[in-house]
Amino acid sequence: MRISEYISMVWRNRRIALAVAFLCCGGMRVLAQTANPGEPQKPTKYVAVEVEKPKLLLFQGFTLSADVFGPLVYAFSDYGNIEAALRLNLKNTYFPVAEVGYGLCDKTDLNTYIKYKTSAPYLRIGCDVNFLKDKFQDNRLFVGLRYGVSSFNYDISGPDMKDPIYGGAEPFGFDGISTTSQWIEIVLGVQVKVWRNFHMGWSVRFKSEMSTKESLYAKPYYIPGYGTTTGGTVWGGTYNLIFDLNWGKKKGKVTATPVNVEVREAISSENTTEKTVEQDAEGESEGL
Amino acid sequence: MVIRQKDIRRAVVYAALFIMSSSATGWLASCSSNNCPLENFVSCNFYFYDSEGTPISYMGEITVKTLLPGMKTVYTYRKLGEQTVVKEWRDESLVELGYTETVSETRRDTVLVNRASSRGNIEIGLGYFQKCDTLIFSYSEISSSDTIKIMHESYPHVDLPECGAYRFHTLTGVTSTEAGIDHVEIANPTVNYEGYENIRIYFNGVAE
Repeated sequence: MRISEYISMVWRNRRIALAVAFLCCGGMRVLAQTANPGEPQKPTKYVAVEVEKPKLLLFQGFTLSADVFGPLVYAFSDYGNIEAALRLNLKNTYFPVAEVGYGLCDKTDLNTYIKYKTSAPYLRIGCDVNFLKDKFQDNRLFVGLRYGVSSFNYDISGPDMKDPIYGGAEPFGFDGISTTSQWIEIVLGVQVKVWRNFHMGWSVRFKSEMSTKESLYAKPYYIPGYGTTTGGTVWGGTYNLIFDLNWGKKKGKVTATPVNVEVREAISSENTTEKTVEQDAEGESEGL
Repeated sequence: MVIRQKDIRRAVVYAALFIMSSSATGWLASCSSNNCPLENFVSCNFYFYDSEGTPISYMGEITVKTLLPGMKTVYTYRKLGEQTVVKEWRDESLVELGYTETVSETRRDTVLVNRASSRGNIEIGLGYFQKCDTLIFSYSEISSSDTIKIMHESYPHVDLPECGAYRFHTLTGVTSTEAGIDHVEIANPTVNYEGYENIRIYFNGVAE
């Protein structure tokens, strides 16, 4: 072996070499402290252990999802929505998300014969946080917050209004009442890996209306993306089909890099003691 | 805490079932309940005060009529020594008894409040499609009556489709004659089903 090759090998393993060097110094000191004159020295063995603490890269790709609960609701009721979401995966922990959807409602009350109709897009932005301890697994348990906004027009109409005292009747109907609504949502959800990049999951959402520009003639009965306005707050939910997109993501699911090398001193005797190289090094410096 | 993939998968399935069943329950429940206002009668609320502004209960009887649009035919029968009889239809039996019949056209009216007593306020509905309502206040203590004219704008309003349509009003002005009334004023121009105090009527005299 050439000297240059030997140097390069030492340089590649410089951490281990450095550790062994420190260990030698520290070990000799320990021997000096523990050995009594006249007693045979106990055999000492030094073992270098390389501990890998895996580290996630910040960017873990994008996730595209579609909600199937909204269309299902529309199939069995007067309102519903279709929705897709794009979320950014940061360290498998933080998920900034944008949700875009289209809500629609066509309701006629069977008692009052009042008809409400609207259809409009909506936008929600926010962030989810994955609370699972193991960030390397493909399942996620998350809590998040959303801000939602929708600008929409609605039509409302009903039977003629009759004056009970003075008599007379007038048709009742308004088309294209324009308004804008804003709301916030607290999200709790899970998602699990089903097959390769395909996940499924659900979320439950507690929604609270922040502001709605109200018309003199009619309150909006349904706000796209928010739901019905029968109360000040609304519970909602999604059931998502989720696809992990690996745009711009480095190959491999997660990237683990060795960040620490720990060298342990193991004394093969009854009273085994362990000391790290760093501790010994500190001891040396204190002595100096 | 270790969460296994199998447990999470199970949670997803159970949650989906829960969401669907709770939604179905919600839809069923919505058939039997609503969020409509309990007080769903839209009225203009008149509150009574003495001339110095002290709230009072009017101890006498008050009758409130309003004039309706259009005219009606009135048949008046008079006979010397007998009380005058007014009817809205022709009564030939009175003519046979010697009454003199007079036919005239008068404004249509209807009673809105009939002999209300010991009341501190009254509630009266306003017209849907007219800009001025005329109310005639008659009192049991004094022979003359007062006429209150209320100017207002009206508009339809729907809170929720299940609650129906209402007619709200915005008061723009109020005037009165001064037989038993000192003066009137608007307290709150919004007339809806919230029950605001809309008009204050200050009667002549001071409460003891």
